[in-house]
Amino acid sequence: MRLPVVDNALLRKRTAELLLAHRRALAAVLLLHSLAAVAGLAGPWLLGRIVDAVVQGTAAQFVDRAALWLLGAVLAQAVLVRFAQQTARVLGESVFADLREDFITTVTRLPLSTVERAGTGDLLGRTTNDIDRAQHSVRFGVPRILVASVTTVLTLGAAVVVDARVAAALLVGVPLLVVTARWYLRRATPAYLRESAAYATLNGTISESVEGARTIDALGLGPRRRARIDSDLREAFAAESRTLGLRTVLFPGMDLSFVLPVVATVLWGAVLVADGQASLGDVAAVAVYALALSQPVGELIFWLDEIQVGATSLARIMGVSLVEPDRTTGSARPETEEIAARKLRYAYRQGHDVLHSIDLDLVPGERLAVVGPSGAGKSTLGRMLAGIHPPTGGTVTVGEVPLVDLPLDHLRGQVALVTQEHHVFVGTIAQNLRLADQEADDAALAAAMSAVDADAWLATLPDGLSTAVGSGGLALSPAQAQQVALARLVLLDPHTLVLDEATSLLDPRAARHLERSLSAVLRGRTVVAIAHRLHTAHDADRVAVVDAGRITELGSHAELVAADGEYAALWRLWQQE
Amino acid sequence: MPYRDPGTPPLTSPTAYLWWVARGQLRLVLSAAAWGTAGFVSTALLPYLLGRVLDHGLSDGLTGEVVRGALLLLAVGAVGVLSNVVEHRRSVESWIRAAFRSAQLLGHHVTRTGDAVTVELPTGEVVATVASDSLRVGEVFWIVPRLIGAVAAYIVVAVLLLRSSVPLGVAVLIGLPTVAATLGLVVRPLSRRESGQRAAAGRLTTLGADTVSGLRILRGIGGEEAFAARYREQSQRVRQAGVEVARTQSLLDGLKSLLPGLLLAGVVWFGAHLAVDGTITTGQLVTFYGYAAFLTGPLDVATDTLRILTRGIVGVRRMLSVLAVPTTGAELPRPDGPDRDDTRDANPAGLGLRESTADLVDDLSGLRVRAGRMCAVVSAEPDETAALAVRLGVLGSEHRVESSRVRLGGTSLAELGLAEVRRRIVVGESAPHLFTGSLRAELDVHGTADEVAMLAALATADAGDVLDSVPNGLDGEVEEKGRSLSGGQRQRLALARALLTEAEVLVLVEPTSAVDAHTEARIAVRLREARAGRTTLVVTASPLVLEQADDVVLIADGRVITHGTHRGLLADDSENGRRYRAVVSRADAEPTTDAGTEPESPTFDQPRKEPADAPARR
Repeated sequence: MRLPVVDNALLRKRTAELLLAHRRALAAVLLLHSLAAVAGLAGPWLLGRIVDAVVQGTAAQFVDRAALWLLGAVLAQAVLVRFAQQTARVLGESVFADLREDFITTVTRLPLSTVERAGTGDLLGRTTNDIDRAQHSVRFGVPRILVASVTTVLTLGAAVVVDARVAAALLVGVPLLVVTARWYLRRATPAYLRESAAYATLNGTISESVEGARTIDALGLGPRRRARIDSDLREAFAAESRTLGLRTVLFPGMDLSFVLPVVATVLWGAVLVADGQASLGDVAAVAVYALALSQPVGELIFWLDEIQVGATSLARIMGVSLVEPDRTTGSARPETEEIAARKLRYAYRQGHDVLHSIDLDLVPGERLAVVGPSGAGKSTLGRMLAGIHPPTGGTVTVGEVPLVDLPLDHLRGQVALVTQEHHVFVGTIAQNLRLADQEADDAALAAAMSAVDADAWLATLPDGLSTAVGSGGLALSPAQAQQVALARLVLLDPHTLVLDEATSLLDPRAARHLERSLSAVLRGRTVVAIAHRLHTAHDADRVAVVDAGRITELGSHAELVAADGEYAALWRLWQQE
Repeated sequence: MPYRDPGTPPLTSPTAYLWWVARGQLRLVLSAAAWGTAGFVSTALLPYLLGRVLDHGLSDGLTGEVVRGALLLLAVGAVGVLSNVVEHRRSVESWIRAAFRSAQLLGHHVTRTGDAVTVELPTGEVVATVASDSLRVGEVFWIVPRLIGAVAAYIVVAVLLLRSSVPLGVAVLIGLPTVAATLGLVVRPLSRRESGQRAAAGRLTTLGADTVSGLRILRGIGGEEAFAARYREQSQRVRQAGVEVARTQSLLDGLKSLLPGLLLAGVVWFGAHLAVDGTITTGQLVTFYGYAAFLTGPLDVATDTLRILTRGIVGVRRMLSVLAVPTTGAELPRPDGPDRDDTRDANPAGLGLRESTADLVDDLSGLRVRAGRMCAVVSAEPDETAALAVRLGVLGSEHRVESSRVRLGGTSLAELGLAEVRRRIVVGESAPHLFTGSLRAELDVHGTADEVAMLAALATADAGDVLDSVPNGLDGEVEEKGRSLSGGQRQRLALARALLTEAEVLVLVEPTSAVDAHTEARIAVRLREARAGRTTLVVTASPLVLEQADDVVLIADGRVITHGTHRGLLADDSENGRRYRAVVSRADAEPTTDAGTEPESPTFDQPRKEPADAPARR
């Protein structure tokens, strides 16, 4: 399942809304930059006047006055540039802070079923790479584009004001400029996207090499990993060569389209001056304007492709908000703790049912083991029983209220899914625990930790519950991480737990230490344990054998062994006796 | 690109490293600098030529003089255009070479250090040296040629000015470096603030990634609001840091406009007086103006250089800390051929070897693994046997010292050397890393196995379903860390991978802990067949696997206490037999036999219910 991406029309609408929300700052930026550009244009204009004055033999006072004006313009421009840049950058920072905060808020509210199915890869990419890329465009691109457009327009305007007829020569470069820019922009975005994809792949490879360093050592994977890094670099090189190739056309095309107007201004100016239609000063001013145009227009084209790249990232960032909620909360609340499935069906793809009309009543307080071959639908059943996915057919109810009609915080107090995944969040141990109960005081947290047998190692930490853990902090062992997760369950206190091979992937060395911790959590709760180890089934009150999306056998271990069905066969195999 | 062999850089200091890189691409850097000089100088000449044309007076219309002047302007402009693009190509090439060479050095180094690199540095920092620091090093080689060109152009302009007017020339000659130095004063605090903001933004990205990675947990048990709030808080910190950068940056922008502007105003004022006096022509005045405006270019390059050099040195320093992590020495030093050649060095000698002939003996535990047999080790403490297995293969930085106590065919592993040990003994740990790439590449670690062998190994590991679960079979892609596969599939794929090394001695730690009983039974039988005649050591407590082993060894407190076959030990009435049964058979482990100790469970999904706590059944 892939998360949605907004289309161009919606992207424009959303961007406009975003900018509109900051319209005052935006207007201020535009005004300041326009004034700064106007001040900057005074130079060539005054130069033209001085040239004319010298030609006409004016006295030195005029030169002094003009120079003073120039000084004034320089000072004004410097001050205006400073404030314009500051306002623009602060605006960029604010717009982007809003954007990323909205994004993360949306992400943390994504429907449960989406989070479970989409996996973290796509979302992680949007949170890191796309945010970075869009940030670059918004933070640097938007202000630069504003400045460059304003400067370009005003420079052209100033040339026209000096002498519209001479300024006509500036148009000579336009056809070449337009052709080159169009050629380039059409090709630039995919080329730059390929480039950033190549670097992302390279970084992924390095990251894997570091994380899998031990496996590389064990299996002698070194040469293979190096070949992979080299091939990533080769691709990055190819991508860089491609964009370099594009610039090899763009740069000369652009540069030439700024040399041509200078030459044309001289030639056309000569014609006009000879006719007495323009002064030498006008020509000089326009020629200098022509020289000055290359910088802002070049910057404009340079940023246009960056903006295109940023826009694709922005579309992915905004796309997350298009995910529809997977449930609507009802008002009924359960009175009992009895969980029941009725005619339960589920299909990840329409028409491909993974579960076929399952009926199951959980007895409060029982341990139900769910066994069966891989791909039989055990995990799907577990997620349904935990209210993660709304069923495609039938119901799962607690006290006769459908699980998916309950508000999320209420659902969590009823039933929790425990998977083999454990994640230590960046923060303190207390913060990691309080996820389950924001109001819990330190005593409650300590009690939860000691309930799962984690008080011994907790006591050895100098900062106790306030110890920073997770990436960048103290590294917890997998067993300790799992204990923190279990302590959270103690705080959450649901009456039913669904364990989806909760510890099977754990290093067997760690599993042993966790045994007591887990049993403390399970005490007094209804437990559905999805497992592949038969002693789980042997020890459970009831065993459900799931095969091809149906419960084929259901009963106590003894009953099923006596029934001599599939479970009995499996058990004998396990026992070897 | 990439280099066949990126070479061995000096690790003594950042400058030594940069110089080493520079020596490798000196011609490229010089050529870029030459073209850069041509580009800058021809751009600087444009105002000069423009002034000359204007001086010839336009009042006579399109005279030959004017046309010639215009054509000269066009020609010099064209030279500038050409030089600029060639310079850009050369500079970018120089940038790529330096950056990629650094990235390649780092990327290659981390494959030779074993887990020492993760012990010494956080993964994120190592990745950052490639993702950003190597690129920063590249930038140094991008800017230096430009700086050379800019300085050359500045000198040319100064000389031209001196020839027209000594005071003006001197003013520019002194003025520009003064301006550059003044701007340099702002560049340093700016760099500091920028790196402050980058650090804050890095923390923000970490928080975002952390929230997303744990999203299933957050959505499952709550706390998402707290995390969103924490992200917002850091986001505001980044914004605040950004505002501070904006303040300094805009100050620099303002100064960049002011200082050259003052120089320009001075030049115009002084030049205009000279023009009024008739000392210079109006054309020369336009030229002066053009020069002064042009000089902002070299000025930008100078401030950029300062910035890039500062960042580059910091980057090199971080790179050097990664490159300084020692290598394991498991790979023989390369002769001097290209890197690919050491594929052969790393190839297991076991390839094609159908019989193992050397016993593997561990003095510390008293374990003897007989050549060509399948041996299983069992312990009530799974940590113990897992650690033993890893020690037998000298895997991980913690085991180097003990390798003298393990002998293969009479020679201690310390004497054999790590390279030889890796060639002959392969350890498959219980949760090994899977890598992104095609299934084929994942399986065939040394690039020597054919498709038949790969399919056979997959069959042995009962991993045919993995083949079906990825599109395109063997050419299908395995996602990062095998994320698209289930836990059991990952484990079976890793087992197939270990089998394909065809190692003389294969050590497997809990190879079937995540698979169901049916599958485990099949794997156990096939594993025995596949490894017939070769030495295999399995750490397990599963009766299904033990049943297939030739020898079963029970370890306690680090020593072998008994050995035999699975059936033999099950039938053994002695104390050792009882201990063996207590470990391997959950069904037999009545609570009474081991009163006071924890229940033994090498692998488990859910603890046994403790009778006292059992909830009442209905």
